[in-house]
Amino acid sequence: MPKQPEPEKIVKEVEYDKKWWDEWVRKGGWRPEGYKIIELEDGPSLNELTPQKFMIAHRPHANMFHHSYGKVSKFFEGLLEGRLLGTKCPKCGLTYCPPRAHCFNPKCRLQETEWIELPKRGTVHSYTIMAIAWPALAHMQPLVGAMVRIEGTNTCLPMLMKDIDPEKVNIDLKVNIHIAEKPKGDLLDVYGTPAEEPRGPKRTEEELKRFRADMELTREWVRRKFGSK
Amino acid sequence: MKKVAIVAGSISRFDNPRHTLQEEMVAESVKAILDDVPNLDLGSFIKNDGAACYSYFSDILEQQQCMHWIIHDYLGLSAVPAYRVESGGATPIDAVINAALWIRSGKFKMVLVSGWEKMNELHIQKINEAIAIAGDTDWDFVSGFTYNAFYATLEARRMHVFGDTEEDLAEVAVLNHNNALDNPYSQWLARHGSSKISVEDVYKSRLISYPYRLLECAMTSEGASSLLLADEETARKLTDTPIWITGVGFGTDTMRPGDRPDNPAWKGLFPEEENTWPDNIPRPMSPYPDLVNFGSFKVAARMAYKDAGIKDPRREIDFVEIFDPYAGVVIAGLEDMDFCKRGEGKTMIREGVIEPHGELPCQLSGALTAQGHAVGATSIAQVVDVYWQLSQQIGKKWGAPGRQLSNPKRGLIQGHGGTGCQAGVTILEV
Repeated sequence: MPKQPEPEKIVKEVEYDKKWWDEWVRKGGWRPEGYKIIELEDGPSLNELTPQKFMIAHRPHANMFHHSYGKVSKFFEGLLEGRLLGTKCPKCGLTYCPPRAHCFNPKCRLQETEWIELPKRGTVHSYTIMAIAWPALAHMQPLVGAMVRIEGTNTCLPMLMKDIDPEKVNIDLKVNIHIAEKPKGDLLDVYGTPAEEPRGPKRTEEELKRFRADMELTREWVRRKFGSK
Repeated sequence: MKKVAIVAGSISRFDNPRHTLQEEMVAESVKAILDDVPNLDLGSFIKNDGAACYSYFSDILEQQQCMHWIIHDYLGLSAVPAYRVESGGATPIDAVINAALWIRSGKFKMVLVSGWEKMNELHIQKINEAIAIAGDTDWDFVSGFTYNAFYATLEARRMHVFGDTEEDLAEVAVLNHNNALDNPYSQWLARHGSSKISVEDVYKSRLISYPYRLLECAMTSEGASSLLLADEETARKLTDTPIWITGVGFGTDTMRPGDRPDNPAWKGLFPEEENTWPDNIPRPMSPYPDLVNFGSFKVAARMAYKDAGIKDPRREIDFVEIFDPYAGVVIAGLEDMDFCKRGEGKTMIREGVIEPHGELPCQLSGALTAQGHAVGATSIAQVVDVYWQLSQQIGKKWGAPGRQLSNPKRGLIQGHGGTGCQAGVTILEV
């Protein structure tokens, strides 16, 4: 006899400020907050431009997603406890972080994986230095981002790097992995720091000069926008 | 299997902002096709086995789902069979492939393919966000990486493994921008004017995400493009100069680039590519593609070559348009589509092979960094550019007869989405 599922029970909750949302959703309800009427030449090609007039409405729209992490929720619960978790296929041994609830090795026929605790160590598989990051992170520019292979896994987890000179980050660098002291429950809670002296990639003198100028311009922009850092 | 012809192609130019609605830009491009094909009657589509296939990337950029329903009746095509294809940046190339397969199957005699995008409504950070959420929003996007950053990690690894240089990337950017200077559909020409740029200008443009600088990244654009495809019998009634789609292919790779180094699905699939892995670099379980190349391009290209009976693409294809949201994609793409050995893409750049007068001209339109990137229209426009070259129409359409290639026979257009999560290739022939 099929069974009806029990109703959901809340085990733990950090509530968001409903007042803040109520205000936001009312403001973000599509009614224009302003408009402009402009003149602009337009046409299907630059050889066919004609003067046109357009009205542009400033139309706000707000969202709040109530997003489930599904069967890999345990990874994020782990972050809340300061633990780094991954999954492992009991058939082929492939180890995932990001975790998968099912193994993607075609031979394993979508075998369910098992949870394991991972060491907070890894290696930089590749990296970038972001001179433009998300608005919430802009005050931290230039930001080093690394694709980190956590020890014992077959995948890379993208994360931000701290305590490193952007000029020095290199592929194959050994890193320590940390979880934020006050985790919020997403990947930004995870970051890396160098576990050995970083070497930096080979750069010509001209490339190094350009790189340093780029970093200085980026830092200068941050100082102007957010004050001294 | 029915042969597939391109009867006509058109672009409503790429720029930002244009402030013209999607349906209006699409109507401009379809009107251009109606002007080119006087015998074409959209009103007869329903009776004559016609259909439409639509391409746009994002429902989020203007918070409008099912935009293609608005487009479809705006064009007067109510009741005509149609649907939208969507697969990130691969959307427009997949729409072309889908339409070609419809015709090959004999299901439809002619198909209108239209693509568009509007990318000016949101604040630039939200536009970046709307693009970035084509990445995994639990595991990629929320790590603090923009899409620029992910492509930058791919290129940083190429530089490490195969020795691409900052100069190679800058050279690709110079090629694209200078190629666009005669193209009246180009956003770069509209915004910048017609002066040439140099490698130094690229270096002077601001750093976005190392190693990529502003001029090495695609623009965000508004625009539309359309193609009319038909089977041979129908095409002969509509035009004297059909161009044939003789090869199509598409391939895929993981959503998250971080899942590529040890992926059992790739291991052993292309052993000759795995053998090029340098001895001094730690070897992943699946050395091809790793984060260094785009496996989806290879699957797509090999499928299209088989389709078109091409054995030696470097010799048998005359010119190429690559979907290059970032300059390094051209270098990797040349390798993945077998125009050179893996790791030698940079040599093709350095030897000038892909210059307008080189052995294999690439990006003649200016491609994504200079013609522009109105996502749903991008690859359709690149197909149109190749179609105009093959049908000797560049002089008429661009007003720049000097840019017409001398007697080209066969061109390739590649498109892709995500970080190479999905790719498509089409081959056009006279």
